[in-house]
Amino acid sequence: MRRFALLATALTMAAASAAAVPAFGQTSVVSRAMPVTGNAPEVCTLQRATLAQGSQINFRALTGNLLQIDTLVDPATLATNAASARIEFAAVCNFPHRIRLESQNNGLWQTDGSMNQPADGFAYALPYRAELHWGEVNGALDANANVRRIAERRFNVDQATVGEVELRILIEAGASNTRSNAPVLAGFYRDTLRIFLEPR
Amino acid sequence: MMFKATPLFAPLFAVAAAALAATPALAQSTSDTSEFAVIGNVPALCSGGTISGANATFDLGVLVNTSTGLLRPDLSAPSKVITGSFCSARSTINVDADAMAAQTFTATPPAGFSRTVHYVATASGWTVTPASFDTAQAVNSAATQSRDTAFTGDITVALSNFTTAGGNALRLVADPSYLGTVTVTLAAAE
Repeated sequence: MRRFALLATALTMAAASAAAVPAFGQTSVVSRAMPVTGNAPEVCTLQRATLAQGSQINFRALTGNLLQIDTLVDPATLATNAASARIEFAAVCNFPHRIRLESQNNGLWQTDGSMNQPADGFAYALPYRAELHWGEVNGALDANANVRRIAERRFNVDQATVGEVELRILIEAGASNTRSNAPVLAGFYRDTLRIFLEPR
Repeated sequence: MMFKATPLFAPLFAVAAAALAATPALAQSTSDTSEFAVIGNVPALCSGGTISGANATFDLGVLVNTSTGLLRPDLSAPSKVITGSFCSARSTINVDADAMAAQTFTATPPAGFSRTVHYVATASGWTVTPASFDTAQAVNSAATQSRDTAFTGDITVALSNFTTAGGNALRLVADPSYLGTVTVTLAAAE
């Protein structure tokens, strides 16, 4: 009888348990969680240049990516005229990055080959300064026209930045690669400035 | 063992026979009834079902327009369907969601940037009015919906209305992993 009683008790408990405990995976409250994922890749963008209104002195309007000096030399002395302009580029980098400013010729150099031989007392390349402002960076590249080569400056930017890359180009009166206020040899003078927003 | 138990019941049968013999003829009956109860109960249960597809993840891929750095306006992900769910009583469905946040870049974003993407998660099919949760809102009164009857059916979970926290003029900081979570909960009412 005791065995029977124990068995009966056990069966009773089992029946009660079956009635009160839900089957596996079933409760009065159930949840399903679903992750939502995505990524934002490293992006730098640099829009086309615009000339800051009223900023230019002795520069013509910007044509595409070409900025032309209006009157490069004083017609009376043939010395370099002062000129300046500020150019802006809408830009964004969404990660810590580097901005690099590169002058292809390290100054304004003759590019048409009209005067292949320097002449004593004349300037045949013109230095200028490019001032750069981008986020936390304030820097400058001095294209000194001493040697025709690529010149560049690099600046690290420690955080994502959005806004305008501001580039101010300054040519001093009398700028010359020989002596100040030297007359400038006739010719077509040119340089190409490149701005890079890139990973460090 | 069973045969050994038999003699224990013999006195009971003997008592019953004696009682029948002593009963008057008028009280005799050719039939008798007895009732006994068979009872059970079904608790109010819900089963969560299974999520269709290869996995449970809403993978949105690249979140930004790589030409501008801004949140893609065409951002979307296929809906997920939870199949085989049931509740054996009246129930509520609740949808909860966390905004997508950059997992590597955890600092305060620089000016002009954000590290969070808001969205609206909607669970439909269970109730007449879908349950929905907007991660951009502090209060989501539509997040919980009720139905008065037991039910089994599919639940479709969809995401929409993606926005950049702080405004869509902000860019997202670069990060290989933006992560949020949508949680759908079924609760049976006792």
